[in-house]
Amino acid sequence: MIQNKHTFMLTLDWRIRRIGQALFTVWAVLTLSFVMVRMMPGNIMGALVTRMSRQGINPARARELIELRLTIDPDQPIPAAYVDYLTNTLQGNLGQSIYFTRPVTEIIAETLPWTLFVLSWAIFISFFLGIAIGALMAYWEGGKLDVGLTSYAVVIGSVPFYVLALLLLIFLAYRWNLFPSNGRQPTGIDPGFTVAYVSGIVYHAALPILSMLVASGMASLGMRGNSIRVLGEDYLRVARLRGLSDLTISTQYVARNAVLPMYTSLLIRIGAMFGGSVVLEQVFQYRGIGLVLLEATHQRDYPLMMGGFMVITVAVVIALLVADLTYGYVDPRARRTQ
Amino acid sequence: MTVSESDHQRRPAHHDPILQIRNTSVTFDMDRGESRVLDDVELDIQRNEILGIVGESGSGKSMLASALLDAVVDPGVAYGDITYRPTDGEPVDVLDLDKQGLKELRWETISMVFQGAMSSFNPVRKIRTHFVETLDAHDYDIDEGMERAEGILEDLYLEPDRVLDSYPHELSGGMKQRALIALSLVLEPEVLVMDEPTAALDLLMQRSIISLIREIKAEYDLTIVFITHDLPLVADIADRIGVLYAFEFVELGPTDEILEDAAHPYTRLLLKSTPNLEAPIETMQPVEGSAPDPVNVPSGCSFHPRCPLADDQCRHEDPRAYEVNANHPVHCHHWSTAREEISMTDDYDVSSVLQSTAVDTRAQSEEIDPVVSLEDVEVHFETEQSFFDMFSDSDVVEAVNGVSVDIYEKDVVVLVGESGCGKTTLGKTAVGLQEPTGGSVQFRGHDIWDVQTGTDTGIEWGEIRRSLQIVHQDPGSALNPHRRVKTSLEAPLKRWNKDLDGNDRTQRVLSLLEHVGMTPPNDYIERYPHQLSGGEQQRVALIRAMLMNPDLIMADEPVSALDVSLRVEMMDLMIQLQDTFDTSYLFVSHDLSNARYIAEKTGGRIGVVYLGQLVEIGTPEQIIHNPQHPYTKALCWATPELGVEKNTEEAPIRTIDIPDPTDPPSGCRYHTRCPNAREICRTQSPESFDVPDETAHDAACFRVDDDHDYWTSKSITRAEETVFDD
Repeated sequence: MIQNKHTFMLTLDWRIRRIGQALFTVWAVLTLSFVMVRMMPGNIMGALVTRMSRQGINPARARELIELRLTIDPDQPIPAAYVDYLTNTLQGNLGQSIYFTRPVTEIIAETLPWTLFVLSWAIFISFFLGIAIGALMAYWEGGKLDVGLTSYAVVIGSVPFYVLALLLLIFLAYRWNLFPSNGRQPTGIDPGFTVAYVSGIVYHAALPILSMLVASGMASLGMRGNSIRVLGEDYLRVARLRGLSDLTISTQYVARNAVLPMYTSLLIRIGAMFGGSVVLEQVFQYRGIGLVLLEATHQRDYPLMMGGFMVITVAVVIALLVADLTYGYVDPRARRTQ
Repeated sequence: MTVSESDHQRRPAHHDPILQIRNTSVTFDMDRGESRVLDDVELDIQRNEILGIVGESGSGKSMLASALLDAVVDPGVAYGDITYRPTDGEPVDVLDLDKQGLKELRWETISMVFQGAMSSFNPVRKIRTHFVETLDAHDYDIDEGMERAEGILEDLYLEPDRVLDSYPHELSGGMKQRALIALSLVLEPEVLVMDEPTAALDLLMQRSIISLIREIKAEYDLTIVFITHDLPLVADIADRIGVLYAFEFVELGPTDEILEDAAHPYTRLLLKSTPNLEAPIETMQPVEGSAPDPVNVPSGCSFHPRCPLADDQCRHEDPRAYEVNANHPVHCHHWSTAREEISMTDDYDVSSVLQSTAVDTRAQSEEIDPVVSLEDVEVHFETEQSFFDMFSDSDVVEAVNGVSVDIYEKDVVVLVGESGCGKTTLGKTAVGLQEPTGGSVQFRGHDIWDVQTGTDTGIEWGEIRRSLQIVHQDPGSALNPHRRVKTSLEAPLKRWNKDLDGNDRTQRVLSLLEHVGMTPPNDYIERYPHQLSGGEQQRVALIRAMLMNPDLIMADEPVSALDVSLRVEMMDLMIQLQDTFDTSYLFVSHDLSNARYIAEKTGGRIGVVYLGQLVEIGTPEQIIHNPQHPYTKALCWATPELGVEKNTEEAPIRTIDIPDPTDPPSGCRYHTRCPNAREICRTQSPESFDVPDETAHDAACFRVDDDHDYWTSKSITRAEETVFDD
């Protein structure tokens, strides 16, 4: 009987279950946005038609246009519309943007990489910077560096990043002209893998990245706390008595164990940063998915909004899934045997 | 090796010290002043001896251990002379070594095993890595070293490959502790310092490891310094015993002399305060008072405030080392008087609170209705289930399986067993804090879970809740840290005695505080839990439970968090409160000596739990002197004794490690470890049998029944290789 139990457990491996949960979340989001569009008070269809007729398009034509662009047909019965919507979405057809009059997928494909570019740099730099600084702070616990950086981190951590972004913009871009104040690529240079173009991109992304690095202040505080906890562990004392080298102790014993709790928070932060990118890209007029989303909201461009939200949701779900699936490799205690 | 285990004897102290400690002190700078946690200690550690160092927590014993490796934790400073004398070569002053010298001394010459084996390994690295990096750091040949490591692990009854390829969390506590011992021996040190190496382990594992230490010492030619708070534990293996009190040695001598005729009053009182299985309970008495604060050690003899013989000389003059004989120094002005005045055995004039009640055994009065009655109780835990587990079975842990026991008015039942055997779960089930998955729990004839769901309205749920109380193991976390003693203690009165006004409540709490010896009560009532000592916190927790006026209190290891010298005092207090409040107790303990103390003093019973089953129950006399179940016998064997004669019997268990509770053995659950197991034990689970000619004594073993098929069944112990023998 026990044997049966185990074989059955194997077929429902926890990884598969975890992926199932992720798919469930994505499905739930898709369904929610469908329900939202169908149920939203004030009839989206009507609102769109009115607006388009104000722009001089006759209502019947407007209706046709909108039906073409939305992947949800408001006149269809709900079950049929739902099935159509799901198939369309799963096939990658997110509809047409009303404002830009281009397919939503195209717009997202064009802007998402830029956001990811800024985000990944910001996240990884802040993560590693935070770990390094935090470890140093823990090492000299109570020293000048520790006290100084702790107060710095507390202050900077309590200032919203967009306030910092504005300050950076005022000083580094307008007053001292060190960085461009907007845009995402150098003008006048042909896109391509040339030194000039790539360095131009980095140059334009520098300020947004810099303002997001604030998060590293918080990360370093977390790392400091974790490291201090690890420094007090018995195994560290035993390792020292065993005569292990300082390098082994600091990397394999202290850092390795202190980073563990930060690993999950790193991937969770990706979600928060996507949200932050809406404001950040507005401040720097950096055309990424955040800026497009904001425009879509202003213009009541429902297909684009839904597409954007969906992409962000999927990105966060994937990040968390990756965190879950890989955590066992980082921490053997979390490895499940079945 | 030339010295085989069987001819191991306590050696007379010969003079060839491997470590000489002179005028060694350890100090910490604290806000309150300089704290001296080791005070001018002198000690010679002889080559190839086992030196036991005994002291209560905070007596400086761990500091001594650290000082031997010059590894006192910052900001502590060790100074004085600790000389290591190699067999060939110049003596080395340990405290003067430079970084390189220390690296060569630590682990290569003097190695250490810590108390916290659980946390002595890096959780993210395999055990093998720990061995390899140690060898590597000391430039040893790794292949040769790993071969040696495997040999040591095998000597410790571990499977080398399995252990080496595990992560620390995959091993049980006992396995980790043995792996740590192996790790400390991998560089072939001469001296092994063990700081409470068994404190976190179960009795059986503790005892098994102690036996292993003896073997290992002979095989690897070691000098062992064994540090513990538990005197009986070292009594069995140590050649000499040193007793630390208030950061200095009060006495040091050959084990036999210390056990039979200690010279220092503290040693004598400590020996008397230690519960054990043999000594009459009337002789067990607490040591009055508590250990001094390191910042403010009393002048003169540091023990004088607690010493019954203290006089003016003790108060003013720090006693030098007097010689009882050449091998036995003692720091007491009146050591010869102490030997006469503080008797070790016949102290019958002690006004033990409850001697009279110990006479009748309440278990015999079975015609009375029980207060709480457990019938065939089962508690099965399933491993976590989530939405997606709906279709799959999950693993079931059978924490309690088919236990029946009745607890009567003013009754005491002590449950004993190894950790993870389900004794706490059983206890919680008995007081209605855990719902059983099978069987029934009745309170005065009402099934308490029927009352809770409303199907039995004969009694109110609130009434049951009030009548069944619990006292937790760790009093520190059982009290709300943000509430004063007053608030914590008045809460039950507010709820259950609504007619009392605020003044009456406070008066009641004050008188109770005074009753349990927390004087002045007006001071204690305003304190927060962190301002109380461990013993005081436990008293408050106990009073809080008592204020509900309960019929049954389940006390989960109520004394294991306390110092040895305070345990008897706490148990006496609990027994006294039982008399005052007329309640019954269900104690849970892993320590047979404590169980015996309580059960014998109250005329209660001891129940032995193994893997969720109650395998034997009876009076302490029956359990300790006439154990029927082989597991009970193993527990008795594992309980350390203060006797001088060495316990040389073979260990009555076949394997050290407890089976996995998620997959318990078939038939009798003990058959995998039982030395008397036969074929039938593999397939059939024994019922509980009445032990012939004894009342109230049941055991779940076929051997109790003289006519059972068991006696014709084939033995399985010879067929299998004996995995462990002493």
